[in-house]
Amino acid sequence: MTTPRRAVLTALGGMLAAPGILSGCSSNVIGGRKQTTIRFWNGFTGPDGRTMLGLVRKFNEQNPDVHVVMQRMDWGTFYNKLFVAGLGGRAPECFVLHTRAMLRFALAGFAAPLDTFVAGENGLPESDFEPGVWGATTYKDEHFGIPLDVHAMGMYTNRALLKEAGWNPDTPPTNTDEFVDVCKRVRKLPKGDSERYGFVFTNLETNGYTLIRQFGGNVFTPDMQTCILNSPENQNGLTFGRSLIEDGLVPSPENFDAWIGFRQGRVAMAFEGIYMLADLQRQKDLDYGGAPVPQFGTTKAVWADSHNLCMRRGLDPATAAASWRFMRFLSNNSLEWALGGQIPTRISQLESPEFAKMEVQAQFAKQVKIVKYHPKVPFIFEYLTEFTLAVEKVLRGREKAPTALKTAEDNINRIIERQRKQGVSGGGQA
Amino acid sequence: MKPRASGWIFAAPYLTLFTAFVVGPLLFGFALSLFRWELLSNVKPTFVGFENYAEAFRDPYVHQALGATLRFVWMAVPATILLALVIATGLNAVAGKRQGFWRACIYVPHLLTVSVAGILWRWFYNKEFGILNAFLRPIGIEIPWLSDVAWAMPAIVLMTLWWTLGGPSVVLLSGLQNIPVSYLEAASLDGATPTQRYFRIILPLLRPVLLFVTVMHVIGGFQVFGQVYMITRGGPELSTRSLVQYIYETAFNNYRMGYAAALSWILFAVIAIFTLVQFRLMREERS
Repeated sequence: MTTPRRAVLTALGGMLAAPGILSGCSSNVIGGRKQTTIRFWNGFTGPDGRTMLGLVRKFNEQNPDVHVVMQRMDWGTFYNKLFVAGLGGRAPECFVLHTRAMLRFALAGFAAPLDTFVAGENGLPESDFEPGVWGATTYKDEHFGIPLDVHAMGMYTNRALLKEAGWNPDTPPTNTDEFVDVCKRVRKLPKGDSERYGFVFTNLETNGYTLIRQFGGNVFTPDMQTCILNSPENQNGLTFGRSLIEDGLVPSPENFDAWIGFRQGRVAMAFEGIYMLADLQRQKDLDYGGAPVPQFGTTKAVWADSHNLCMRRGLDPATAAASWRFMRFLSNNSLEWALGGQIPTRISQLESPEFAKMEVQAQFAKQVKIVKYHPKVPFIFEYLTEFTLAVEKVLRGREKAPTALKTAEDNINRIIERQRKQGVSGGGQA
Repeated sequence: MKPRASGWIFAAPYLTLFTAFVVGPLLFGFALSLFRWELLSNVKPTFVGFENYAEAFRDPYVHQALGATLRFVWMAVPATILLALVIATGLNAVAGKRQGFWRACIYVPHLLTVSVAGILWRWFYNKEFGILNAFLRPIGIEIPWLSDVAWAMPAIVLMTLWWTLGGPSVVLLSGLQNIPVSYLEAASLDGATPTQRYFRIILPLLRPVLLFVTVMHVIGGFQVFGQVYMITRGGPELSTRSLVQYIYETAFNNYRMGYAAALSWILFAVIAIFTLVQFRLMREERS
C-alpha cells in the first residue's frame, strides 16, 4: 500500500518551510527596474558569516537588478531546514553544501546540476579549479556545486612551546620521527601548573580519517558496494595513533576540548581544520603557526571538506541566471573569503601573491593536492557514527583496531544492504 | 446559554490549539510510524504495519540509547527530588527577605539556556584543563569526567542537578508553606519531636506536590537531550546517547522518518508506563 507521496511531502514541507514562503523568491519592480530577489542560506554563523555578508553587500551594490538576501543559521539547523524546505519545494535559490552532504541533496533532487552554467558564455574556467576538489562535487558525471573553499586539515603549532622544547618553530615536524621527537621533548619540560603535551587528538573523525588514509587505507570498495574498513592498512593507521597514547606522549582523547588546551598554550601541535584559524586570529597571546600535517604512513593524505555553492533545481531561467551570476561572483572573489580563514579552490587565486601573504592559509594550502574527502554515500551520518565510534574505541584503548573496525565494517555493510532493499541508490568515490 | 455550551466555548481556543499542535501531530506521527519512509529513497512511502517497531526492538542502538536514558532517569530523578526537598526545607526555615535572596540564588542557574549551561560545564569538566580537576589535582585526584564511559553520565547528572534544582525546590517550598501551621502546633502540644513532625505530618501532606514534581521530572528525564548534546554529543562511545538524541539523528541526519516516528511512540509508551506506575504506587500508599 502506498500513499500519495507528493501530497504528504508538500504538506510537511510547506508546514515547516512557512518562514521561507513569507520571504520567498520574487521579482520586484524598484525604481522602474525589475529586481530579482535571491535567497541565500548558509551556516556561516561565526566570523566567516561577516566576511560572507560583506561579499553579499558588495554583490548587491554592483548588481542593482538582483537583490541577495542572506540567511545564516548553525549547520545542524541549516541542513534540517534546507531539507524540509526542499521537500515543500520552497528551498532557497542559492545555498551552501558541504561536499560530504551534497550527494544527499542531489539524490533528493533539490540541487541542480551546474554543468551548463559552468560551460556557458558567462561560465567558470573548469581548469582553474583544483581537480580533486572539483571532482568531489560530481555525481553521475554532473557537478552539483561550485567549491568555494577547501577546508583541509592542517597542523597548528604553538611556536613558543616548540621553541621552549628546543625545536625550531620555523621547521615544524614533517614525519613520524620528528613528530615523536617533539612530543617527547614537550613531555620532558617542567610541568608547571598543569600537564603539557606535544600533541592532542582534537577531532577523532578527521584525525582518524587522516591516519587511515595516510597508511594507504580506504573505507569502501571502488564500486561503493562493500565497506572494507577492517583492512590491515586501516588497522595500522589507528594502531599507530593508539601507540602515541600508550607511550604517554599524547593524552587519551577528550570529547571536544583538547582545542582549548591548544589555545591555552599547553599543547605544541594540533591537527585541525583551517576554519579554526578565526579563533586564533582573535587571540593575541598565542604565538601560533601553520604547517602541513606530517606524513606518518606510506601515503600523503589529509582529511578535507569544502563549502560548495549550490542552486535549487527547477528555477525559472531568469532567476537561475541571477543566481548563477551571484555564485560566479563569489567564486571569482573567493580570495576575500580566504581572508576570513579559508583556502580558495581556484588555482589562479592559490598562486596569487595576495594569497601567499596569508601565512597559515598558504601553509595549509600546500596540501590541496593530497586532500581526501569522506566517501560519497547517502548514509553519510550513519557511516560517520560507525567510523568515529571505531576510532574512539581504538584510541581510548577500549578495543584493538581489528575488533573495533570489524564491528564498524559489519554495521556499515548492514546499512548498505538496508539501503539497497529500500531503493536508496547512489554513491561514488571521493 | 446552557452551562455545558458556555464551557465548550471557553475551552474552544485551547482545544483548537491543542488539537492542531498536539493531537494532530501525535496521530500523524503514529500513522507515519506504520510507513517505511526514507527521504532519500526512490521508493514511495510504503505501509509496513508494525515492522518499524519490530526493527526498533532488534536495533542494538535503541537498546543502548534506552539504557543510557534509564541510567539518567535513575540517577537524576531521585537525586533531584531528595536535594530539592532538603533545599526547600532549609529555605522554609529561613525567615524574611533572606529567604527570597537564597531562593533567587538557587533558581538563577535555571534561567540559563541549555546551550550556555552545557558549554560552561563542558569547560569545567575538561580533564586536562578544566576547573574541577584543577581543584582536585592538589589532593591527588583527577577525574576523566567526559572521556570515561563510567564518569560521563554522572557528570551530565551533576550538571543537570546544578541547572535544574531551582525549579523543584521552589515548587516544594511553596508546598511546605501551604501546610497549615496549626497542624504542626497541635503536634508540638502533643509532644511530637521535630523529626516526628517532619516525617509524620509534613511529608504526608507534601505528597501531592512530591508526586507532581516526581512525575514531571521522570517525564523530563526520559526526554533528556539538550545537555547531553551540548556536553558529550552522546559520547564517549555513544554511552550517553539518549533515546531522544537517537530519534533526532534518525529523523534529521539519516532521514528515516517512519522509523524515527516509531521510536518516538516507543518513548511515549515508556514514559506513559512509568507515569502510570508512579500514580498507582502513590494511590496505593494513600489507601
